[in-house]
Amino acid sequence: MPFLILACSAPEKEPEPVAPVAEGLFNPPANFPAPAYALAGNPVTADGFELGKALFNEPMLSRDNSIACAECHNQSYAFTHHGHDVSHGVDNRVGTRNAQPIQNMAWQKEFFWDGGVGDLDLFSVAPIENPLEMDENLGNVLTKLRSSSKYPALFKKAYGSTEITSQKFLKALSQFMISLISANSRYDKFIRKEGGILTADEQEGLNLFKQKCSSCHAGDLFTDQSYRNNGLNIQGSKDEGRFRITENPSDRYKFKVPSLRNVEMTAPYMHDGRFYTLEEVLRHYTTGVQQSQNVDPLVKNGIALSEDEQAKIVAFLKTLTDREFLTNPKFAGN
Amino acid sequence: MKKLFLFASIAAVFSACSTESLEPIGATDKNNITLEFENRVAAQSLVLNDTKYTNTSGEDFTITTLNYFISNVAFKKTNGTVVKMPDQYFLVRQADKTSLMPVIKDVPAADYTEMTFTIGVDSVKSISAVDQRTGVLDVASYGTDNMYWSWNSGYIFFKMEGISSVAPTNAAGLKKYQYHVGGFGGRTAATANNLRSVTLSLPAVAAVRKSKSPTIHLIADISKVFSGVSPLKIANGAVVMSPAAAGPIANNYAKVFTVDHIH
Repeated sequence: MPFLILACSAPEKEPEPVAPVAEGLFNPPANFPAPAYALAGNPVTADGFELGKALFNEPMLSRDNSIACAECHNQSYAFTHHGHDVSHGVDNRVGTRNAQPIQNMAWQKEFFWDGGVGDLDLFSVAPIENPLEMDENLGNVLTKLRSSSKYPALFKKAYGSTEITSQKFLKALSQFMISLISANSRYDKFIRKEGGILTADEQEGLNLFKQKCSSCHAGDLFTDQSYRNNGLNIQGSKDEGRFRITENPSDRYKFKVPSLRNVEMTAPYMHDGRFYTLEEVLRHYTTGVQQSQNVDPLVKNGIALSEDEQAKIVAFLKTLTDREFLTNPKFAGN
Repeated sequence: MKKLFLFASIAAVFSACSTESLEPIGATDKNNITLEFENRVAAQSLVLNDTKYTNTSGEDFTITTLNYFISNVAFKKTNGTVVKMPDQYFLVRQADKTSLMPVIKDVPAADYTEMTFTIGVDSVKSISAVDQRTGVLDVASYGTDNMYWSWNSGYIFFKMEGISSVAPTNAAGLKKYQYHVGGFGGRTAATANNLRSVTLSLPAVAAVRKSKSPTIHLIADISKVFSGVSPLKIANGAVVMSPAAAGPIANNYAKVFTVDHIH
């Protein structure tokens, strides 16, 4: 019993004092809350970031050296797998879930559609070891990196020693990922009064969004990071979502509320990529909600929106596209 | 070797009978206690891969893999005080002889009459930062014999696999049974807790002195994984990996250990 109590009460982290970081690599935006990631334990350095970026683009992370993280997390599409409903792995194996964007990771408390991992530093192990994704084991990745001509020198630059450990490997990937901050969309510049202008339709869309969507897609991260069943038809893989982690029947078919930043670029939508357009997503919430087990009370009866209102919300959502983020050469693989 | 064993046995008997004659205990004296895990199957030695055993339900089984984590070892002194030895984690792997004798370092000099340990990795360590995960807790350390669930972040506390004629044929064409038991109680939501604590009284005093480091020889009767508390049939579930379903296995394996002797 004491274990259970500890486990339930431990993770509430105090906001960490932000450690000195390399100029321009980790700058929390003014309109964001305090980061969840323990920055003091892994301050971003220029060389750590570069190592993380190299690893992110490194096919040796996969069993047959064929795919890198960047394969399913492409910068131009907010680090998602453009045009793929679910991610593809080695040997053309097909996964079960839609690759989520890698952005604003320092503000995420839990990872994956089901929240199975609670620490960004342990996040990368999952796609590396997933048989449908990179199908490699982490120890073997480290062995390959140690015998490469490239990596001992990059680890030395980042950490002062050529030694390659799981801790250094995982934390370098975290340094790169937490630096992928998207907060310079037209919406952000509007909210921060930095000269961003929304059209009348977009403003109306924003107002409608606040009334109808922001209970779940809350705050400037556009997610409350909760797990909910949004009333999708149970189909395909019959993925049980959060239940897979908690094994609590009240979590069956619940998935994490995703952020909507850069949502224009992250199609297709939902945990299994079933909707190809934002219009289809809005139609789902107005007329498509199914009465499945644990359907969320907030969407149970559908969200009342006219076609005109739906269009305005879509117009607003497109103001969350952050071109600087999508094209920043600093984030691009070599 | 035999001579050494005989000598050790005599020494054990001797020390058990007359700790008074040992060197006095200095306030800061410390030494190691070695735990020797001897895994058996009822009255037979445990031999991986080849040997066929029978469980209490009459089902045949072999053992191809047997691994378990031991942590949070504590020893009780003759005066009743308990000395905890935190932050020492061990992975006992039947396939690796060196892992069968974990050494508890820096135990305060005293006479001990009881020991406690956890089978598994406690919840605090299970959610700890990656810097805390070194040695047997390093998630990169397992190779193909994985003891960490990356997608549902947590350690596999106990892993036992083998072949049984009553198991269904798997995709590889093998009649394989697999028990992977994990589940530390959950990080932000309450989930199954399969951590089990074992307390064993010692048959003789384990005396730790500045120049004396005893070995506690434990026997783990692995047949009790199928029968320790309640009978388990491979036929009723050959592949168990869900923490919520693994409770009965954990209850059973919490009963496999006995202390045979101290030397």
